[in-house]
Amino acid sequence: MDSPSYVALSSLTGRRRQMDVIANNMANVNTPGFQREALVFKEYLKQTRDPAAGPLSRLSLAQDFATVRDLSEGAMLATDNPLDLAIRGEGYFVVRTEDGERYTRRGTFGLDEQGQLVTRTGLPVIGEAGDVIVFPPDASEIQINSDGTISVRDVNDPLAEEVIGRVQVVRFENEYALQREAEGLLRADEEDPIAAPDATVLQGMIEQSNVSGILEMTHMIQTLHSYNAANTLMEQEHERQRKVIQIVGAPRATA
Amino acid sequence: MRALSIGATGMLAQQVNVEVISNNIANMSTTGFKRGRAEFHDLLYQDLRRVGSVSSDAGTIVPSGVQVGLGVRTAAVYRIHEQGNLNITDNTLDLAINGRGYFQVELPSGETAYTRAGSLQLSPDGDIVTPEGFLVAPGIRVPQDAVSIAINTNGEVWVKRDGVVNPELQGTFELATFVNDAGLEAVGKNLFKETPASGGPQVDIPGAPGFGSVLQGALETGNVNAVQEITSLITAQRAYEMNSKVIQASDEMLRSVTTLR
Repeated sequence: MDSPSYVALSSLTGRRRQMDVIANNMANVNTPGFQREALVFKEYLKQTRDPAAGPLSRLSLAQDFATVRDLSEGAMLATDNPLDLAIRGEGYFVVRTEDGERYTRRGTFGLDEQGQLVTRTGLPVIGEAGDVIVFPPDASEIQINSDGTISVRDVNDPLAEEVIGRVQVVRFENEYALQREAEGLLRADEEDPIAAPDATVLQGMIEQSNVSGILEMTHMIQTLHSYNAANTLMEQEHERQRKVIQIVGAPRATA
Repeated sequence: MRALSIGATGMLAQQVNVEVISNNIANMSTTGFKRGRAEFHDLLYQDLRRVGSVSSDAGTIVPSGVQVGLGVRTAAVYRIHEQGNLNITDNTLDLAINGRGYFQVELPSGETAYTRAGSLQLSPDGDIVTPEGFLVAPGIRVPQDAVSIAINTNGEVWVKRDGVVNPELQGTFELATFVNDAGLEAVGKNLFKETPASGGPQVDIPGAPGFGSVLQGALETGNVNAVQEITSLITAQRAYEMNSKVIQASDEMLRSVTTLR
């Protein structure tokens, strides 16, 4: 009976969720390697009671369908920190967690007490051969070149360099299928990682969040307005129904 | 309304960011200061519509579900142990370390702390101490009648005494290095302490392979880069503002619901 309210409601719930997504983007405007998300809406058609009415017989509702990661590259920030890495082009670093391997574009790495290359949360970063990367205790002048090869100055021969490993960089056939987890990690359930020879590793750089403040603000204003519009629609529908009940349901003065 | 609390996490994170930046700026001219950097992580993601759930009886699956993130949190305040500039002071007991390593300082509690701030002084007994009066390991005493003190790049302290022709070796400073400098705990007064994350100290004389050398008459300034800090401050402030706008907008959405009747 009151389908206009339901149409408005479908918009309201969707916009609310969109606001959550925008809020999360804005909260992560300074999170390195963060990729902004967008909520995708689709039309959901529902048959009304009168199928003979042709195309008008369908009621169109809005449904929030998916969140999609924006895969564009964030701005690169030079930090001069030898263990800050960024990837130019399609690619992810591989880290090992208790639940298996996870992927990340966030290359703010450090060393732990054993000299292993780890993320800020202490997860080991995986090298080319599936091994962890361990720096010798007296490592100095860490050099990481564009294919991820790590070398340090040889302790015994100050003029020579010692290669100690190579950071693994992988890519995926369908990057959108990766699932997000906390702390910038991504989980690949159905996709298998493949080697990414085209990706370039940049040392002393951090890929910043690809959230653009202006864009998010505009989206936020838009969301707010269309939320308010749907609200007004609901209010007017309520008013209409009230009037109908008043007029139709009023006892007649004269018979 | 998740957006309200997400906006709040954003504001809190940016507040920490501004605090770290202000501490950096405040310590711009602190000898041996290492600048900090606040780093953020995204929080958990909530699956509202799971990826891969079956969307029809024909077996089609949802290619990408609805995952809503729940905000941001401070992951770490990371200390950047890049070497600061060396400032020539020509003061006899100002020592700078060029390269890796820390002076070892014996705290009154018996613990050892580490510092790169080499503005050293003499105690009433002639011991070489930090400005707080803590002994610098291994404990070098300068005799009362010393005319001049020379400290070479290997940390050897040579003292020329009045009436003696040849300078005498009084002791050698030792430096400590750590596998993971960033894991050291800053305890104030330019001092750091070892933690499980930093690994144990490796001690050797200055100039040994993997160790820096000592420079007399120079001090290492803080490694704060003013331009970088101010730019970060601007970004942090704008991000804070944007998050406050999110809270305002969510509030407005809630208000329009309550006026619905």
